[in-house]
Amino acid sequence: MTDPIIRFVVIPLIQTVVILLVLLGIVAYLTLAERKVLAWMQVRIGPNRVGPRGLLQPIADVFKLFAKEDLTPARAERFVFLLAPILIFVPSFLVWAVIPFGETFTVAGFPITPFIADINIAILFVLGVSSIAIYGIILGGWASNNKFSLMGGLRSAAQLVSYEVPLGFAVVSVLLMSGTLSLVGIVEAQRDAGIWFFLPGILGFGIYFICGVAETNRNPFDLPEAESELVGGFHTEYSGMKFAFFFLAEYMNMLVVSSLAVILFFGGWLPPFPNLLAGLWQSSLLSWIPPFIWYLIKVMAFIFVYIWFRGTFPRYRFDQLMAVGWKWLLPLSLANVLLVGVGVLVLKG
Amino acid sequence: MRLKDFLARLVPVDLFKGLAVTGGYLLKRKETVQYPEKRLEPSDRFRGMFGYDSERCIDCALCAKACPIEIIYLADKVEINPETKKKKKVITRYDIDVKRCMFCGLCEEACPTEPPSIWLTSKTYEGAVYERNEGLYFDKQRLFTWQGVRAFPGVRSPAEGQDPKDPMGRKPTSEPTKGDAPGEKEP
Amino acid sequence: MSNHTPPSLFDVEEMELSFGPQHPATHGVLRVQLKLDGEKIVDAKPIIGYLHRGTEKLFETMPFPQCIPHTDRMDYVAAATNNQGFCVAMEKLLGITIPPRAAYIRMMLAELQRLASHLVWLATHAIDIGAITPFFYTFRERDAILDLFEEYCGARLTLNTMKIGGVPFDLPAGWVERCSALVDGFPAHIDEYEELLTNNRIWKKRTIGIGVVSPEDAIDWGLTGPPLRGSGVQWDIRKVFPYDRYNEIDFEIPIGRNGDTYDRYLVRMVEMRQSVRILRQCLDRLPEGPVIAKVPKVLRARDGMVYGSVEAPKGELGYFIVTTDKATEPYRCRVRPPSFVNLQLLPDMVRGHLVADLVAVIGTLDIVLGEIDR
Repeated sequence: MTDPIIRFVVIPLIQTVVILLVLLGIVAYLTLAERKVLAWMQVRIGPNRVGPRGLLQPIADVFKLFAKEDLTPARAERFVFLLAPILIFVPSFLVWAVIPFGETFTVAGFPITPFIADINIAILFVLGVSSIAIYGIILGGWASNNKFSLMGGLRSAAQLVSYEVPLGFAVVSVLLMSGTLSLVGIVEAQRDAGIWFFLPGILGFGIYFICGVAETNRNPFDLPEAESELVGGFHTEYSGMKFAFFFLAEYMNMLVVSSLAVILFFGGWLPPFPNLLAGLWQSSLLSWIPPFIWYLIKVMAFIFVYIWFRGTFPRYRFDQLMAVGWKWLLPLSLANVLLVGVGVLVLKG
Repeated sequence: MRLKDFLARLVPVDLFKGLAVTGGYLLKRKETVQYPEKRLEPSDRFRGMFGYDSERCIDCALCAKACPIEIIYLADKVEINPETKKKKKVITRYDIDVKRCMFCGLCEEACPTEPPSIWLTSKTYEGAVYERNEGLYFDKQRLFTWQGVRAFPGVRSPAEGQDPKDPMGRKPTSEPTKGDAPGEKEP
Repeated sequence: MSNHTPPSLFDVEEMELSFGPQHPATHGVLRVQLKLDGEKIVDAKPIIGYLHRGTEKLFETMPFPQCIPHTDRMDYVAAATNNQGFCVAMEKLLGITIPPRAAYIRMMLAELQRLASHLVWLATHAIDIGAITPFFYTFRERDAILDLFEEYCGARLTLNTMKIGGVPFDLPAGWVERCSALVDGFPAHIDEYEELLTNNRIWKKRTIGIGVVSPEDAIDWGLTGPPLRGSGVQWDIRKVFPYDRYNEIDFEIPIGRNGDTYDRYLVRMVEMRQSVRILRQCLDRLPEGPVIAKVPKVLRARDGMVYGSVEAPKGELGYFIVTTDKATEPYRCRVRPPSFVNLQLLPDMVRGHLVADLVAVIGTLDIVLGEIDR
């Protein structure tokens, strides 16, 4: 009698809470990681005063943001002003309901899945839900009653909408190779194929990652929040917890894009060449590494690449950004779909 | 577009080179100096806090005239020694408004005594205060004791007595050659 | 008024935007009044005066040696050339020739200052366009140069390092060796900055074709310095009206071809390399002797007026000094700041470009509000 309740209510509830809290913690420490890694690339050390080696810095930041005065500009549209951060923040957490980061294991006879739900249209869910954030940006920029914010919001919205198209096509190339829309199924397909989809789909990966960087408003596509021009873009007028929401949503989006890149192209929680080197991975030396650790390492590598990009590149001007998206990435992604389709047809008969 | 150009535009080699430069810095030595645990030592000629020796000062007021922003305030009075009936000028007030000082060193150049009675000590740059108007107004007593100024280790305030070999706290490392110093009288 | 039609849905109004004076990218307190049509700039009007301190009036109240610390604060990024301009003008007026060692020391200080100023320009220009790391690398080098200044004259930024008649002190022991080491290691650093930026496709896209100035326009508007040379005009005060023994030193003037931002960037990078070349020659050929001419302690001028100019890192810095007989202070000292004249061309350079290019153009003109407003 209680078995289905535990299986379908209690365990998912616990999973949700655990994933939520862990993600919040990771995102908070991502801010510290960005500051430190960026600093190391700039011949300096990042924050190192708060706590040993600066490890308590995110806690200090959280206190600061809580304590800041929560201003609303005088003639801003109050309801929309409040709604915008929520519209940005919630979707980026919502997508974690379907993202898997390990293999199922059992505890006391109950299978614990490292994801909250495995729906068979997981990719569609992720892409659809994360698009809701665009509303938050437009509304946030408009509701601030500030010309700079308005311009920033408009630019950002145009950028996000444009780069969703090549992103979608890059994902399509993976779907051709895997044959399923479910994220767990895509990883399983990579295990069956024996290689990560990164190797045959390298063009698709390049397109996906560039679009991902553009989708998260990061350097070199960070014109909407370029300090040197728009003093912060659509989140100029926000302070305190509302600003924290924008901030957290940006880092959460980075995590989502990195996770998807890992799952779609880099084998999720699989070690390299899972079938070929199966002997190595199951040997007593390495078999203790849980799959989750592989996933974590790969995601952290992508986050590092994000920070690396920020430290190195100048930013594109807005029209150049749109040109890259529409004139280069879109035709390339279509060509990629064609190539992958032909390849799959040839190889699978 | 030729295939070579197309591939060059597709694969961003220039961007990878830039990434290599910044990536290389992850492993290199960092330039940060952890103040206040470690302090960088200024050079010997650094123009720092004032040193004033009222014994040497002859009250000519050339320093006040030379200052571009007129922040040196002098006042004196004539004292008559009751026994010898000799008149003596005594400096009652020698104040420097350090908050407006630009540490140009013109007062030190104008001082005719040798070594100068007003000079900019080297290696004293930590005089920050929380309140500007009174905290940075140095009267004669405060110029003597350097109250509120943190000197670099090894540099002594006028109250602590100066090294007779290095009265200006400067450790000069080069001898001035004859005919160099401005204002030196012709032989 | 009665036939005033209400605006229809398709009437486009121009948006007026005030860029600054408090803005991270305007290099000081510059206000640019923009008229925008969407993203395109229809008109731009720079409004200055937020940093006016009355320097020229102050000059009239203080004796000549006391003016020199005040000149430091005009172009606060490159103080040595400000001092040099004033001293060169006064020496021209009074007919003083400075000893050869003083001339070489002055040239070394000026070229070190040119390197430091161009490093700041590179740092801020790169940050405005989005590349945030060259700032830290360039300031590391600039710190080494400022250390050299500190060892020589005691201050890092507002140097007060030259006197009418020469320089106040001789070089301390070991300065020549340290400067030599810096000069030898510098080209490798310039190579590093170029590796990050010069061939970077994003950098090129942001700077090629932006803010184009034709050579005729440049001469008509009175541009000097890298904006002039970037447009292809071969004009450098150090070659055309040499002062301080620049005629004994062997160096080249880089000029650009298209007059756009990328050319001005390349011109300044090559200028840095040429400064290193000048420094090397000065260090090798440093003569012995006194470092200041025989100048009376209380300097009295003759009746007359003079215009003396030097090639500051930002352009031609000129001083027009009018004096009366036996005066200890100038009657009038007018400063010709290079950034002031260069800024005039801002509206023409940005018309038709986007707002993001405005920031690039302000950066490439390399203005510093301290000398524009004085």
